[in-house]
Amino acid sequence: MNIREIITILLSSRVGKIGVVFFILLVVVSLYVVMAYPMDFGPRSWNNPTVWADNPKNVSPAWTNIFSQTKQVAHTNFKATEPNQVTIGTNETTFFYTSKLSYDYDEFPTFTSFTIDNITYHSQPPIITLAIARPDGREILLYRHVVLGPSPSETMPISRYTETPHRVYLSGDNTVLFNITDYLRGEFDLDIAVPKLRGIIDKVIFGTPGGEGQDFSVLQGKYNIITTARTYHPDDSIGEVSFVLGGSVYGFMGTDATGRDLAVGLLFGFPIALLIGLTTAILTTIIGTSMGIVSGYTGGKTDTIIQRFCDILANVPLLPILIFLAFIIGQKLWLVVLILILFGWPGLAILVRSMVLHSSSTQLVEATRALGASRWRIMFRHVFFQIAPFILAQMIFFTPAAILAEAGLSFLGLGDPSLPTWGQILESGFSTGAVYAGYWWWVLPPGLLVVLAAMTFVLLALGIEPVVNPKLRQ
Amino acid sequence: MSPLITKLAARFLTLFGVLLVVLLLVVITLGATGFSDRMLHATLNEDLRGLRQTLAQTIRDPIELEQTLEIRRQELTSFYSLDKPWQSRLPETVWRVLTFDLGESRSLRSFEGSSQVIDIVSERLLNTILLITSASVITAILGLIIGPRLASRVGSRLDRLSSLFLAFSYALPSWWVGIFLIIILAFNFDIFPAGGMFSLPPPEGGIFRFLDMLWHATLPIISMVLVSVGAWAYTVRAMLINTAQEPFVTVGRAKGLSKRLVERRYILRVAAPPIITSLTLGLTASLGGAILVETVFNWPGMGRLYYDAILAADESVIVALTFIYTLMYIAARFTLEILYLILDPRIRYA
Repeated sequence: MNIREIITILLSSRVGKIGVVFFILLVVVSLYVVMAYPMDFGPRSWNNPTVWADNPKNVSPAWTNIFSQTKQVAHTNFKATEPNQVTIGTNETTFFYTSKLSYDYDEFPTFTSFTIDNITYHSQPPIITLAIARPDGREILLYRHVVLGPSPSETMPISRYTETPHRVYLSGDNTVLFNITDYLRGEFDLDIAVPKLRGIIDKVIFGTPGGEGQDFSVLQGKYNIITTARTYHPDDSIGEVSFVLGGSVYGFMGTDATGRDLAVGLLFGFPIALLIGLTTAILTTIIGTSMGIVSGYTGGKTDTIIQRFCDILANVPLLPILIFLAFIIGQKLWLVVLILILFGWPGLAILVRSMVLHSSSTQLVEATRALGASRWRIMFRHVFFQIAPFILAQMIFFTPAAILAEAGLSFLGLGDPSLPTWGQILESGFSTGAVYAGYWWWVLPPGLLVVLAAMTFVLLALGIEPVVNPKLRQ
Repeated sequence: MSPLITKLAARFLTLFGVLLVVLLLVVITLGATGFSDRMLHATLNEDLRGLRQTLAQTIRDPIELEQTLEIRRQELTSFYSLDKPWQSRLPETVWRVLTFDLGESRSLRSFEGSSQVIDIVSERLLNTILLITSASVITAILGLIIGPRLASRVGSRLDRLSSLFLAFSYALPSWWVGIFLIIILAFNFDIFPAGGMFSLPPPEGGIFRFLDMLWHATLPIISMVLVSVGAWAYTVRAMLINTAQEPFVTVGRAKGLSKRLVERRYILRVAAPPIITSLTLGLTASLGGAILVETVFNWPGMGRLYYDAILAADESVIVALTFIYTLMYIAARFTLEILYLILDPRIRYA
């Protein structure tokens, strides 16, 4: 039976078709990730909290807005690298960065933050301000920052905020708090005690006070976020300014407790799952098949020794051993794959041996032997090709087992920290109590993806069953 | 010797080999990575610290105290064989584990406060067995009910639908099903508790206590049954179909025996031994599944202990659990082997 026939049979059944579609999906997403993500994604981005600092924590996906009665704030990052306006004075130049924000949400943002990076100056340190112009014509000066001046040992030009950007968490900043107090006093003639104001900075910015004893109400409309940078030398430069409107929904898959974009992590899990599944399955099959054929065809003492050995290895309870070895030797992905192969091949070798015993007594093999074919030739040219479809089906069946084993191990907190997997995302959700807090977007999708990946191969195996078992062919 | 005994002895030897392989793997890994040296040094230092406090009350001279302690240290070092390479301690360590001398845990304690690993593990053993056995029995019964129905309607819509369910359930990790059930049934609808074995405080009276435990065990058992029942029913179905094509079944039908009689005595009875075999093969999977399900539901069994031991980095508990789990698996396997021999007369009379 050649490959084309196998594919025809596979595509003739419904389960086979679904399996093929899922498989193509897995491969395409994996290829995309391999090309788009850096190799050191785990340590550099995923496990690096500064990358995710600007994201809201524990928020649901943006599309949940469809089901929500009130319109929740979508997380938005207003970044600017080039000023939209420059005014040149006698001895200073002012850059203006203006972003438009149309605020049509029914809720207040969860937080706001402001970041500046890569500033270079040649004489006097630049002054940065952030103000917000509201739809009702009022303007609030939120923040004013003078870049740190030169220390005696430094020489011009001086670069600031190159390694780590200067980040202000506006919702909890003291200077913002005093600016807000001034604004309320001047515009609304309101005196709110500073400690009381501390938690409601964002409400003041995006709302109007509701009078005596009442809460702030959302002010919808067009806002302008205005950042200015006053510089004192023509060569001074500002890298990037950004204002973050912290949402209560984020992206396609929401975020976890450190603000990580779950969609990014889940995507990275695709190639890893395929890698684990396919590597384990292919190597297990190669070792298991060769040992099975050798054992069955050679017979005698070799056969007995191999079979006793297989009997023992195939009966070792896998998960306890995996837990033990991962705990003692280290949390490495290759170790997991190695153990899965080590304890996986004997089961196949036992099965292959019994099939070989059957097929090596056929007349075809007998005739080949009579023609003087060598032992190896018979084993791998004739015996192997008779049982090849069965082995293919077995190989497909090993794949989900490996994916599930890795996910389970990761779920126990023994995953490889340098390679984020679906199991690890689930584990971090489970160990921080996301299950009991009802953060379904954090714990359900990774599990669902494990199921999807594993099921793809089960469907393929079911679709290919008629190849192995001719009775099932229509 | 009767063939039955020979067969059983051979199986027992294989399973004992499994135990030895696991033990050797564990002990060699611990030795080669330097873990066992570190563990023994920790015990030794603990002993010396205790001794110093006792001795300090009788020996006033600090130099003399140090000398006495140094002598004691050397005695202990040779007692624990720390002066020899780890390989030489191997037989002794294997023997200690085989005789359940499992040492002390670092930080985990039993419910009664003992730090002996054997105490910690043994009080949880029953809880684990309770969960696994009830889930397995329920799965087996359901499979034996559903399987024959599918086999009698091969190719029907129900049959095809159930083969899809099989594919789905094979790919379903039981621990994730557990999380799903917690979110839906415990968090959203508040019908079942999200974890634990008893309410706090546990209700008074034997029967209420039992019912309370049952209520807590429902979700874990459902998650375990849900993922294994599909594959099992499907195995039963496949075995029954294969047997139903045998000539003797046709003869039975030709004799005019009732359909039920043919099903029970001709098909199910003959298909029973291979069904047992497939149950045996699924055992490792359900054992692993139970470890994770216990973790999810905070069920105070050995699986949850694994998770706690990993979090607390308590290696002696992890070693002990690996050993006990292997032992439990072997015991279950051996029971099934005996069951197989009882069901398959060919082996008895061969």
